[in-house]
Amino acid sequence: MATPEAVAEKRELAGINADYKEKFGFHDPETGYAYKAPKGLSREVVESISEYKDEPRWMRDFRLKALEHFESRPTPSWGGNLAQIDFEDIHYFVRASEKNSRDWDEVPEDIKNTFDRLGIPEAERKFLSGVGAQYESEVVYHQVNEKLEAQGVIFTDMDTALREHEDLVREYWATIIPANDNKLAALNSAVWSGGSFVYVPAGVKVEMPLQAYFRINTENMGQFERTLIIAEEGSDVHYIEGCTAPVYSTDSLHSAVVEIMAKPSSRVRYTTVQNWSQNVYNLVTKRAVAQEKATMEWVDCNLGSKLTMKYPSIYLLGPEAHGEILSIAFAGEGQHQDAGGKIIHGAPRTSSSIFSKSISKDGGRSTYRGLLEVADGASESRSKVVCDALLLDEDSRSDTYPTIRIDENDADVGHEATVSKIGDEQVFYLQSHGLDEEEASKMIVNGFIEPVTKELPMEYAVELNRLIELQMEGSIG
Amino acid sequence: MPDTAGTSIPVCPLAELPPGQMRLIEHDGDKIGVFNCDGTLYAIEDRCSHDDGPLAEGEFDASACTVECPRHGSLFDLTSGRPKTLPAYAPVRTFTTTVVDDTIVLEV
Repeated sequence: MATPEAVAEKRELAGINADYKEKFGFHDPETGYAYKAPKGLSREVVESISEYKDEPRWMRDFRLKALEHFESRPTPSWGGNLAQIDFEDIHYFVRASEKNSRDWDEVPEDIKNTFDRLGIPEAERKFLSGVGAQYESEVVYHQVNEKLEAQGVIFTDMDTALREHEDLVREYWATIIPANDNKLAALNSAVWSGGSFVYVPAGVKVEMPLQAYFRINTENMGQFERTLIIAEEGSDVHYIEGCTAPVYSTDSLHSAVVEIMAKPSSRVRYTTVQNWSQNVYNLVTKRAVAQEKATMEWVDCNLGSKLTMKYPSIYLLGPEAHGEILSIAFAGEGQHQDAGGKIIHGAPRTSSSIFSKSISKDGGRSTYRGLLEVADGASESRSKVVCDALLLDEDSRSDTYPTIRIDENDADVGHEATVSKIGDEQVFYLQSHGLDEEEASKMIVNGFIEPVTKELPMEYAVELNRLIELQMEGSIG
Repeated sequence: MPDTAGTSIPVCPLAELPPGQMRLIEHDGDKIGVFNCDGTLYAIEDRCSHDDGPLAEGEFDASACTVECPRHGSLFDLTSGRPKTLPAYAPVRTFTTTVVDDTIVLEV
């Protein structure tokens, strides 16, 4: 027999889960929008975005060159199925509000209500050092703790950063992910808008996380934020991003570029809780450089979207740099999570680990795709890659594509991969302790992903467990 | 430092490689790009250190003295062979060039 608390919790979860649409999938009317570009991609659209934002000439030129790269590159045929994306059926720039406010009361009512429903202002009050809220193509709210500002920390949206810190932005812009890195990075480079700029001066420790929340509202929308984080020597920062979108019958596209520079002895953690609606293609390029003795960590949780293709990477380019990638993917009905990570050991005595956990159910497909490279000269480096996949039924699928390239004899590299199913014996054992079959399955799944959730701040670990429980609803019987 | 093994090979008359131009030559099966950066000559191997693809025929910026890998966008400093942007992170080989009797000569 289930406990009364468990029954109540289950009822509550079932109620919420009745609809992603209700909790996250609602949409606002587009009344009062400042600008909505017509569908389609062209030189004129790119020029109009740049002109609308009143950008410097070099950025306009960068965008136009990127557009040429995008147009000349074929759509990738490896990984997920991108053939159904119609790049001409997308709005590439939508400005919902003329203002980027530092006070929630100044944010237009509909948009403020949306972020209230998503719990962002409340989270900001409780446990964050700063918040950015992007709605459609641009950031509508941004605030950072005054003490951090006094210490020289910059946390602002990318458009503002380009206006107010142009030299700093230009020094690092596209040096980690060039416009021609891949087709989707080229697309982002051509039409980017919004995203975060974070600069942490030497020695400054940002105690509480900074968070950005990305919301798509319009149908057939493309969101192309661009984020750049620079952590100076000895600094420490944790950045968290979350995202949701309305449920539509037609597809939207999210294609971000995230570049991170972790200077010597700094530590950067970047956490993503991706929960896009299942009509969103999520095609993201994320890459970080870790210099001498720096630590870079990606915590990447993919729950939503129709198709995600995302492989956060870390270039360990200074001696004793350390990189970690923790990846969770949950693929339900109609979803393909093609995720993983890449670590490149380019200097001696560097260390890394990749832990990937995927769960597939109801015909969902999860793919681990990873690269581990140890360059000639990266002596005494060590790395461990562990990929675990859990299949909840016969219809679901899991694939693993690990690539390991070792050009250095003096390196210690380990790779482990497992694929497992929820066992009858495990479920029976838990049932004998009073759990019903569904609760037992949830407990097994929560135990499976626990190595990743324990790395999240408590509020996010609770949220992630809750989201996975929602995804698990109805998976048994 | 440029790699020199002592073999000199003529490239072309200096007049045939004006500022802003690149010439690709082949030696012992290896390709080498010779660049004229606003009057100063530089030479690098025609191989991006990221994935061994061709490099020298990428976009050449003579004033910045850089070439951009046409495959994934890494920008290489022609004076040192070092990449200024990822995804390449290792330098490529460079070669010494001289001008002898109005002819560009490459030391390989």
